[in-house]
Amino acid sequence: MADYLSITDAERAEMMKLLGITKISELYSDLPRELRRKKFALSDGRSQQETYAALAELAAKNATYRSIFRGAGSYHHYIPSAVKSIVSREEFLTSYTPYQPEISQGLLQATFEFQTMMCELTGMDVATASHYSGATAAAEACVMCADRSRPVVTFDNIDPDTLETLGTYLKARGIELKVLHAGDGSAQYPSGTGAGAVYFESPNYYGILEDVNGLTSAAKAEGAKVIVGCNPLSLALFKSPGECGADVAVGDAQPFGMPMSFGGPYLGYMAARKEFIRKLPGRIVGETTDADGRRAFVLTLQTREQHIRREKATSNICSNQAHCALTAAVYLSLTGPQGLKEVATKCASNAHYLARELSHAGAKLFYEGEFFHEFVTVTPGKASKITAALERKDILGGLPLDKHRILWCCTEMNGKADMDEVVKTVKEAL
Amino acid sequence: MKTVFEKSVKGRRGVQPSALDVERYDYESYRLREELVLPELSEPEVAAHYTALSKRTFGVDDGFYPLGSCTMKYNPKLHEEIAALPGFANAHPLARADKVQGCLAVIDTLSAYLAGITGMDGVTLQPCAGAHGEYTALLMVRAYHRSRGDEKRTKVLIPDSAHGTNPASAVMAGFEVVTLRSAPDGSVDLDDLKAKAGEDTAALMLTNPSTLGLFEKNVLEIAGIVHGAGALMYYDGANLNAIMGVVRPGDMGFDLVHLNLHKTFSAPHGGGGPGSGPVCCKAELTPFLPDPQIVRTEKGFRFGRGDWSVGRVSAFYGNFGVYVKALAYIVALGGKGLREAAETAVLNANYLREKISYFYPVGDRRCMHEFVLSMRRLRDETGVTAADVAKGLIDRGIHPPTMYFPLIVEDALMFEPTETASKEMLDAAADALKEIIALAYSDPDALRSAPHTTPVRRPDEAAAARNPVVKG
Amino acid sequence: MKQYTGTHEWVELRDGAAYVGISAHAAHELGEIVYVDLPEPGAAVTAGEPCCELESVKAVAEVNSPVSGVVDAVNEELADSPEKAGEEGVWIYSVSSPVLMDGLMSEAEYKASLE
Repeated sequence: MADYLSITDAERAEMMKLLGITKISELYSDLPRELRRKKFALSDGRSQQETYAALAELAAKNATYRSIFRGAGSYHHYIPSAVKSIVSREEFLTSYTPYQPEISQGLLQATFEFQTMMCELTGMDVATASHYSGATAAAEACVMCADRSRPVVTFDNIDPDTLETLGTYLKARGIELKVLHAGDGSAQYPSGTGAGAVYFESPNYYGILEDVNGLTSAAKAEGAKVIVGCNPLSLALFKSPGECGADVAVGDAQPFGMPMSFGGPYLGYMAARKEFIRKLPGRIVGETTDADGRRAFVLTLQTREQHIRREKATSNICSNQAHCALTAAVYLSLTGPQGLKEVATKCASNAHYLARELSHAGAKLFYEGEFFHEFVTVTPGKASKITAALERKDILGGLPLDKHRILWCCTEMNGKADMDEVVKTVKEAL
Repeated sequence: MKTVFEKSVKGRRGVQPSALDVERYDYESYRLREELVLPELSEPEVAAHYTALSKRTFGVDDGFYPLGSCTMKYNPKLHEEIAALPGFANAHPLARADKVQGCLAVIDTLSAYLAGITGMDGVTLQPCAGAHGEYTALLMVRAYHRSRGDEKRTKVLIPDSAHGTNPASAVMAGFEVVTLRSAPDGSVDLDDLKAKAGEDTAALMLTNPSTLGLFEKNVLEIAGIVHGAGALMYYDGANLNAIMGVVRPGDMGFDLVHLNLHKTFSAPHGGGGPGSGPVCCKAELTPFLPDPQIVRTEKGFRFGRGDWSVGRVSAFYGNFGVYVKALAYIVALGGKGLREAAETAVLNANYLREKISYFYPVGDRRCMHEFVLSMRRLRDETGVTAADVAKGLIDRGIHPPTMYFPLIVEDALMFEPTETASKEMLDAAADALKEIIALAYSDPDALRSAPHTTPVRRPDEAAAARNPVVKG
Repeated sequence: MKQYTGTHEWVELRDGAAYVGISAHAAHELGEIVYVDLPEPGAAVTAGEPCCELESVKAVAEVNSPVSGVVDAVNEELADSPEKAGEEGVWIYSVSSPVLMDGLMSEAEYKASLE
């Protein structure tokens, strides 16, 4: 049995002697008697070796693929070894929230650098230190921007998990959520929605790039706040939400160095214009100086947070995804601007190659809009047959959306040979 | 120390992606951004930068870390290797259920263990942190009452000693907060509870052991009052480390609990996250658990959805890579090991308390896994504050305890040694504290200007808040 | 002449308008003030009810208005120098046609209440 304790029997006896007790159970004398009497079975533990074997056996029950063409919110990217090595340093991995700045300067500075990178990518003035996921970042941003009397408006082409999470969070606060239909896969903003806040994604769930400028100005013209959800990798190439006039940018930065890991932990991010700085949910690191005038970093604007403002806090968030934010900062430092653009370009180029070849093979594009690295094909009645045929070749195909449509994703992990094999398999299945 | 941006040199490259082997796709120029400013560094420089930053950060392996309420126990290295197994790390959350049976078995097995440890029936692993678990559980409380046509239960009772997340979560879940007065020993004031529990009460949120590190002796009577009013009992699992394997919240009369797998079950804190905050509940509340649920069938596990579910609270299934570490911990320790961990945590806390308790203890009862000292008398007599004492500990290689919490104790310092601390650590901490208290009387300025051994001294937090500089 | 509330605000009538600030004692308890969430000119305030907030690094204090009426002006200087809100005699907002709350204390009574 593994136990990780450092107290020997002799020490235990000595400590108990100091406390004047002969049995450990005396320490639990405050427990009501009927609770102390309650008996329940306790299992034996296992050695580290046995534990590893037991968990490895479970891991082996999952299918492994030689190539992956599925995204839809979880992306298979290359993670440089240096990322994994650096972030696994125990100081980063095991420390608590940096409430003691003098012994947390490293973590605070890394978070400050992460905030700077997210501001740069999104074109915003301030970024938080992280959120649980893109879904909760979107939900918290909508709650922040909403006024109680007007609805939040969104579209049915956003990520479905995000849409459900928005529904949960807004309903609890008594805020109406209006979901508009995006007819041809792209959002159109009609006048007269009466929205207090508008949320849309670009690229959206179907991979399509929205007219961020047009949607933002239409919504703002009617007095709504605008929140844009973005895969931050796409922002290596495209105009940022900030440049397009949006108020808040959110999303999930899992593509920056985090494995798919069955859906988490990922990295919700939120960045906003500076007028939101005292309304933002969650931690923010700021720069200041110490008693000797040296630069120092601290958690700042803490009066927004639950540990001070309690029921009047801007959010209940305490633990966030700090280690994932560090991972993203290390990833972005390693790729640099040029490397990140190359990764994004390779994703987009692969996706456009695969889309064209699939189309030639009979799997036509379902939507016309320009896309980033995901796209939807239509093959009447054949979606699951296609993905099953790919599974037999150890390829994880696109995500079937229904019987007819498949949502594909390409990343820099896919080579031409893999894509050609997908096309061949699809052709055979049709 | 320079930031990674300040170290950047134009044209320097780190990791380069593999080359394109299809035609490069170019977007129309109106879509493209003009400039992207990120650090430009070589891989050796990036490694050096972050290694230097890590050395300016204090982790659990760097010394005694008795941060109260945070359960800073050792994080086994084994678990990192397990979470990184390709079968887990490369599992796509939207793969067909029959292709990810290993992941679903992790969820099912861990859920069963947690239900057993807490004495509950249903579990969700979707909440990503403790506060997220509180929020989820309160949504379930609301849905439960509404399903019974009981619309008027709009208030949640929360003791004044509670963590700030409790009232903040209650408001996010659409409730009003009613604050309960604590008795001087941090326990619930039963008269105040009786006066405030009524037909508008949805639930009582209770931390047990309390934030003063004391077991709530009257917990069964409290449950009787709350249930008698038709409300539910909610257990904040922040302090479960004192009692796991010893007594179960379900037996104490609680209907829902949230756990902090990053505290109690050894998953690392990661500098503030990611955590994992599962919710466990009694059978009558299981219909309200978030979607999706994992369903066990003869052919294996599959996903299911509930008609009465509160819906989703985040993407996918929560922080899988965190909770798989908690499963490894429970498998390794077993029920017996968990109980021994709890008992040792309580022994360590009482031992340290005994050695230093003549410094301003709060209460005269034995503590559970943590205890609180009040530095009020020290401040009155020397002008040295709880924060000054904390900074003095830093200079002696010890991470400070939690400061100024719980709010019901003036100038509080809250110590939680955890079970993995050695006796030498506890003895050294007691000695360090004695030395600091003596110094407060002989040379208070030495403490007011502490720490002296760190890369920076006390930062000007007022300047940071007054003129926020939040990016480089 | 200033009059004080039990929650440490003061009010002073000058030329028919009421000027409101916080006592030196309250400022000391709160610590260095880093932000003042000023009320909006034109907003109605109610005696005894919170109308704006002062923040230090680790605490938030609500200012309970000693008067009812409509906010006439706010001390714009506090936007850039919030720490001044804690200085003796510095006003935060003024109210025209004010109705003072009952039970205000004189300076001497207030000081006695702090003992």
